[in-house]
Amino acid sequence: MTVHLSRRYTFAASHRLHSHQLSDAENRAIYGKCNNPNGHGHNYEVELTVRGEVDPVTGRAVDLFALDRLAEAQILRPFRYRNLNEEIEAFRLVVPTTENMAFEVDRRLRAVWAEVFPDAGPRLEKVRIWETERNICEISEA
Amino acid sequence: MIISKKVEFSASHICRSAELSDEENERVYGAASNPLGHGHNYIVEVAIEGAPEPVTGMILDLKHLKDILEARVLSVYDHRLLNREVEPFDRIVPTVENMAIDIWNRLAPHIDLTGRARLFSVRVHETNELFVEYRGE
Repeated sequence: MTVHLSRRYTFAASHRLHSHQLSDAENRAIYGKCNNPNGHGHNYEVELTVRGEVDPVTGRAVDLFALDRLAEAQILRPFRYRNLNEEIEAFRLVVPTTENMAFEVDRRLRAVWAEVFPDAGPRLEKVRIWETERNICEISEA
Repeated sequence: MIISKKVEFSASHICRSAELSDEENERVYGAASNPLGHGHNYIVEVAIEGAPEPVTGMILDLKHLKDILEARVLSVYDHRLLNREVEPFDRIVPTVENMAIDIWNRLAPHIDLTGRARLFSVRVHETNELFVEYRGE
């Protein structure tokens, strides 16, 4: 039987929404106060949804401790208490919007997913990231 | 169209499999394998799929849904030790995965009174950080 298991994690980080491909005036117009040169921060939440078969013995669809270790190593430890623009390579040139952060979280997890969960194991189905209670971005498996 | 309803219950459970050694249980379930049990406030979200009936504008009678949830789930699960008091958890481990499947099995045959509605999914939240959705697949 297939279930969809979701696990939530949280980290705090700062960022500035500013595109090097736009003028200062355009940046201010598009990003508003998020363009503040000094940056600002959020308590981010990341929700990972995993699709898997329930093991008849354990009743588990995914090894939660392995998932936690993966999230800690790939997302939480690198992002926690960081200035995303300055300290995360992917955001040196790409603006750390919620959209781009969802892509980066998804990319980081998929890069090592098969090492932790081999072929027939659980699959990463969806990544959701909350920047605030009102601002949420989601990426589903293609 | 999908309509969802949320209910809560509290229960205790022990995540241990008789087929695994003590070491394996500890590795798989961690602190949840404590043989004396522990509990959660569970939140169950049921989603019903259907088309609204033209006269009432409703997919199904929500009072009926509430009564079914009470009779088939809450009265069975609430304030119980699942491993000892709720079938099938005398035989399988009451992980949140198995709970979502069991709640689906208890509800699915009783949702539809009119041929307009069917159970679409059951979500069980064990904590704010962990939930499982089952769609009968």
